[in-house]
Amino acid sequence: MSRWDGLRLGLLAALGVVGGGIALYLTFVHASAAALVCSASGLVNCERVLSSPYAVILGSPVPTSAAGILWFAASAALALAQLRRPTSSFLARAHVGWGIVGLATVLYLVYVEIVQVGALCAWCTAAHVAVVATFLLAITRWQEVESAD
Amino acid sequence: MATKRRPEPKSGTTSAARTMGAVRARPRTRRPSPWLPVGATVAVIAVAVGVFFLVRSATTPTQAPTLPSQAATQKVVDTITSIPASELDQVGAGTASSTIQPVIGNPQPLVGPSGKPEVLYVGAEYCPYCAAERWAMIIALSRFGSFSGIRSMTSAADDVYPSTPTFTFHGATYQSPYIDFVAVETTTNVKGSNGQYQPLDSLTPSEQALVNQYDGPPYTNSAGSIPFIDFGNRYVMSGATYQPDVIHGMSWSEIAQSLQDPSSSQAKAVIGSANLLTAAICKASGQQPANVCSSPTISSLEAKLGQ
Repeated sequence: MSRWDGLRLGLLAALGVVGGGIALYLTFVHASAAALVCSASGLVNCERVLSSPYAVILGSPVPTSAAGILWFAASAALALAQLRRPTSSFLARAHVGWGIVGLATVLYLVYVEIVQVGALCAWCTAAHVAVVATFLLAITRWQEVESAD
Repeated sequence: MATKRRPEPKSGTTSAARTMGAVRARPRTRRPSPWLPVGATVAVIAVAVGVFFLVRSATTPTQAPTLPSQAATQKVVDTITSIPASELDQVGAGTASSTIQPVIGNPQPLVGPSGKPEVLYVGAEYCPYCAAERWAMIIALSRFGSFSGIRSMTSAADDVYPSTPTFTFHGATYQSPYIDFVAVETTTNVKGSNGQYQPLDSLTPSEQALVNQYDGPPYTNSAGSIPFIDFGNRYVMSGATYQPDVIHGMSWSEIAQSLQDPSSSQAKAVIGSANLLTAAICKASGQQPANVCSSPTISSLEAKLGQ
């Protein structure tokens, strides 16, 4: 494993931890009604986004951010697995597939924020950036692993 | 010992040279640049976000609807306040999501100007969530008393859910044998030269104290959110119980008409919300009047409010 590849896998794991932390924070705020550290006016308005019906999964009491915790945890686990088996094209492919799932969800959530709610949530955007970065790193790694076979 | 030499190729090249030549001759497969999918992904995201903003601006009315006349407004108010109790019961909580919370501890009951339990509303004319909630509030409060002087209004044209059709409590009066209703519309829906919405009603120091105490954590994530309602210091709520997009883009009379159909999305949201508010008001009013508060629907919603 090259130094760059090790760094990239470390970065993927770190993104999983950071993104999972954000999702965990949003889930905690949802569950405890604690004050959210975010702008509450103008285009960036976390309160407006997180109090919308889209902040929970299909009308259930489960916040959408809970799904984020699962996604980032799985992503971090995939990164750690690849650190142990850096030549596994299956793991590299699985990470890209997982990234596509995350990317599709992010596009839907951004659509909801902009079109349906008319406001952006800064914390959600940070998590979305982590998903996109994860996908981009995973796809570049997959290309290298495949071409090395 | 003589060895049989393989014939050299006609060109005279050696075997090794031939192999190298073969490698050289093989068409090169260019590995795709790793930046290609990165660039493509970033481009797709940028285009998607751009399209979302375009859709948002295309579906957002730029011109505020014309306010109906006072006679037309009264007709709409009459229509929505005469929805049969059977329909209200049929809808139940509908699609409304309750933000009503019991007040922690056992504070002094909030008493209004005429000594009856007070329902305090704090909102603003610019606020789209207040715009949505007023429809439900008028239906709910009309089960305990009657309004006069309600005027039509829209939320601000430059906020989310722009120009949502609604009413204003500013200048309206409310009479009830059971409760006092105090409404504070803090600003208009028009910005002044300072970029702020122009002030309208002011909170008294005691009203401000209630807002400071109950319109923030642990009752709501965002301190000072509107609409804020205090139901006699028994229950408080902050924010709307349904999203303004349910009625956004409709006229006053279209909304009133849609509320006649209990299966419409507007009825499920607005009447559902009105029933939740009614349940909280019943808790504050000491279950008066009995014909409203003892209905199975309201009783069951009261039980869900807790305390």
